[in-house]
Amino acid sequence: MAKLELKGENPNSLVNQLSHELGLPENEVEETISLAIKRGFLQREEGFFRLTEKGRNEVLAHRERYVHDRYVHPSMPFGRISRLFDGTIRNWSFHWRSKHGMDDEALEGLYDRLRSFQGRIENALPLSQLREGKRGVVVFTFGGRGLVQRLAEMGLTPGTEVTIVREAPFHGPIEVRVRGVSLALGHGIASRIFVKPLE
Amino acid sequence: MGKSVIFNQLTGLNQIVGNWPGKTVEKAEGSLYFEGHKIHIIDLPGIYSLSAYSIEELVARDYIIKEKPDVVINVLDASALERNLYFTIQLIELEVPIVIALNQVDFAAKKGIRIDEKKLSKSLGIPVIPTVAVTGLGLKELLSAVLKVVEGKDAVKPLQVTYGKEIEERISKLQKAVLDLLPEASAKYPPRWLAVKLLERDPEIVKQLKGSEKGRMVVEIADGLAKEIEGLHGEPSVVIIASERYGIASRLASEAQRFFAPPRLTIGERMDSITAHKFLGYPFLAGVMTLTFLTIFILGGILIGYLEALFDDFLIPLFMGFIAPLVPPWLGRIVKEGILSGIAAGVTIALPYVVPFYLILAILEDTGYLPRAAFLMDNLMHKIGLHGKAFIPLLLGYGCNVPACIGCRIMETERERLLAAFVTVLIPCAARTVVILGLVGEFVGLHAALGLYAFDLIIVFILGRIAFKALPGEPIGLIMEMPPYKVPSSKVVLKKTWFRTKEFVYVAFPLIVFGSTILSTLETMGLMESLAEAMRPLIVGWLGLPATAGIPLIFGILRKELTLILLAQLIGTTKFSTVLTSRQMVIFSMVTMIYIPCIATIAALIKEFGWKRAFGISLLDVTLALFMGGLANFILQAWPIV
Repeated sequence: MAKLELKGENPNSLVNQLSHELGLPENEVEETISLAIKRGFLQREEGFFRLTEKGRNEVLAHRERYVHDRYVHPSMPFGRISRLFDGTIRNWSFHWRSKHGMDDEALEGLYDRLRSFQGRIENALPLSQLREGKRGVVVFTFGGRGLVQRLAEMGLTPGTEVTIVREAPFHGPIEVRVRGVSLALGHGIASRIFVKPLE
Repeated sequence: MGKSVIFNQLTGLNQIVGNWPGKTVEKAEGSLYFEGHKIHIIDLPGIYSLSAYSIEELVARDYIIKEKPDVVINVLDASALERNLYFTIQLIELEVPIVIALNQVDFAAKKGIRIDEKKLSKSLGIPVIPTVAVTGLGLKELLSAVLKVVEGKDAVKPLQVTYGKEIEERISKLQKAVLDLLPEASAKYPPRWLAVKLLERDPEIVKQLKGSEKGRMVVEIADGLAKEIEGLHGEPSVVIIASERYGIASRLASEAQRFFAPPRLTIGERMDSITAHKFLGYPFLAGVMTLTFLTIFILGGILIGYLEALFDDFLIPLFMGFIAPLVPPWLGRIVKEGILSGIAAGVTIALPYVVPFYLILAILEDTGYLPRAAFLMDNLMHKIGLHGKAFIPLLLGYGCNVPACIGCRIMETERERLLAAFVTVLIPCAARTVVILGLVGEFVGLHAALGLYAFDLIIVFILGRIAFKALPGEPIGLIMEMPPYKVPSSKVVLKKTWFRTKEFVYVAFPLIVFGSTILSTLETMGLMESLAEAMRPLIVGWLGLPATAGIPLIFGILRKELTLILLAQLIGTTKFSTVLTSRQMVIFSMVTMIYIPCIATIAALIKEFGWKRAFGISLLDVTLALFMGGLANFILQAWPIV
C-alpha cells in the first residue's frame, strides 16, 4: 500500500522512476501496478498511470489507517495495548469521535490534511512521540480552526524548528522550545502537531 | 512579561504583577505627570496576538480600535524578540501609533543576546527604547519618546507589512470590496486590516459584518478568496498568514540581534531540571505545598499567642476602662462584646494566618513557579475536564477565592472557565484556613486539619469530574507559555502582600465588626435563643453541633472566618475545646469549608457568569455541605477516629 501511496502523490510516474524511488525491482512494481489496475485503483493513460477515484479513496483510507495505527492511537494511554481490542474499524468517523475526542471540525481538518498531504506520510511523526532533547521541523498541525490558529500564532507554523525540552510522565504535557520561547503543550495537543524529526 | 511592572513603575499604582502569563485580566488605569503633561496610561492584558481567540485578546483589540489611544506602548521581551515582534506586526497592521519598550535587555544579555535597538527602530520605523522594568531603567526615555510621537515631533513611519504576491493580490481585491460596500465599517477599522482579518476568517469580524446585507456579501467574497489561498498552499488561511508574519518577524529579529555568547543554561533552566522534572518535580511540588502550610500553621500559631495576650490582657481592658463609665451598661456590653471582640478576633485569629499565606503566595507567583506546577498537574487536571492552567486559579484559591474566580479567565472557553470557577470556590481560602487551622488544627491536631484538606481535594476531584461529564462540550488541551524563572524581587513581594492584606482588612473588618455587633445586639435583646431554637433540628439533629453553632454559620456568608470569630463570642471563649468535642469541631470546620462561597466570591461569580449560575453554584455548595456534614456526623459517631 505504501507503493500505492507514493503513486497517489505522483499519479503520472513511470514504472522505472517508481522502482528507482522505491528501491524495488521493476517487475515487482509492474506486478503491483497490474494488481492495482485490476482492482480499479489505477488507470493506464498514454504510457502514464492515473489514479482513479476509487484509487484516490484507497490512498486516503491507507493514510487514515496509517496515521491512526502508527501515531494517534499509540500516543493514547495504553494505546498500543488498547489498539489490539479495536479489531477492524468499520466506522471511522465514529471511532475518531468516540475514542479520540475529535469533533466535526477537527475531523474535517484531519481529512483535509490527509487529502493534501505532500510527501510520504511515513516520514512525519507527532510531536508527542519525539523524545526529550530531540528536534523536529513542523510539517503540519490538524484540529479545529481555533487550535490550528492558536498553534500558528504561538509560532508553530509549518517549517518551524521545535526542540523537546522535557516531558511529564504518563503521557503528560511536553515542554518545547520554539522561536526562543518555552511552551508547555498538553499531550493531546502535541499529538496533533506533525513534525519531521531532525538528527 | 514586565508589562505590568512598567505600568506600576510609571503610575505608582499597585497593579498585581506575577510571573505567570495572564494575570492582567482586566485593564487597569493610572496617570502621571511628565514634563508638564498629564499622561493617562492603561494596562491592557498581556497577549501575543490580536485574533479573537480569548477574552484578553478581545479586550485589548476592542480597546485599541474603539478608544484610539494616542500611543500604544508595545513592551517587547528582548530575550524572545522574534515571538514578540509577531505581535508588533499585528499592531502595525492596526495602524496605531506605537512606541516600543525593549524590556529585559539585562536578561537577554545574560542569555547572550544583544539587540541593536537603532537598527530595529530603523527597520520597523518605530521608536525603540531599551528598558529594564524592575529597576526603572529607560522609563524616562520611554516617556519622552511617547511625548514626541504624540506631539508629532517624531515622524513615525511604520514599516509596510507585505505578504506574498498571491495574498497581497487578494488583500487589495478585498480591500476594494470593503471600501465600496462598507464605507461605515472602513471608517471604524483600517480597511486593509479588515481585509486581512476577513481573509483569516476572524470569527468576531465575520459575526459583526454578517449583521447587514452588504456585510454578508463581503464575507462571501472573503470566503472565496480565502479558499483560493488555501487551495494554493494547502493550509488554512490563518496559518498561511501567521506563517508570513512570522517570516517578517524572524527576518527583523535576526537582522537586529546578535548572539555574542553561545547559549548557556541559565540558573533558571538548571532549576527547571529539578522543579519541572518528570519525577523529581512531584515531590518538589508536594514539598512546596507542605512547607507552605507548615509555615502558615507554625508562624500563625506563634503570632496568635502574642496578639491574643496583647488584646485580652491589655488593649480591651484599657479601652473599656475609658469607655465603661461613659455609657449605659447595655451599650457597654455591645461595644465590648461586639465591636471590640470583633476587631480583636479579626486581628488575633484571621491576620496571623492570612498574612503569611499572602507572603508565600507572592513569592511563589513572582518566581514563576506556578506555570511549572501547572505543567506537572496537567495530566491530573485533564481528569476533571480541565488542563494544567486551571491549577493556577486553584492554587490562588487557597489565598482568596475572589481573585481566583477572576483568574479563571486564563482558561480559553466559557465552559472551562465555569468548570474551573466551580471547583475553585470549593478550595479552602485563607479565611477558611483560619477556621480549619484555628479550630481543628489547634484543638484536634494537625493530622485532622490536613485530613480535612485532603477530603476537600477529593470532593473537588469528584465534583469536578461530575461537572465535566455533565457540561456539554469538548475538553481543550494545554498551550501555555513557560516564563523563565527569576529571583523574586522583595519590593514586588512585599508590596503585593501589603496590597492584598490591606484589601483583606478593608473588606473583612467592617463585615466582621458589623456581624459581631449585630450578634451581640441580638444577644442583648434575648433573640438569640429563638433563632438558635429554629435551627435546632438541622444543627443539633442532623449535624450534631451545639444549637448556638447555627448562628455563626449564617453570618459566615459574609466572611468565612466570621464563623469562628462569632463562635468564640457565643461560647464566650477562644479555648474551643472546653465547649466543643473533636467531632463537633471537625464537622463545624467541614461545613464552613464547603457550604457557600462568601459574599465577595458570590459577587465575583455573578460578575463572571451571571446571577443564575452564581446562585446555582451557591445552592449546590450549601446542599453538599449539609449533606457531607451530616454524613460525617454519623460516620464519626460510629467510628470515633478523631
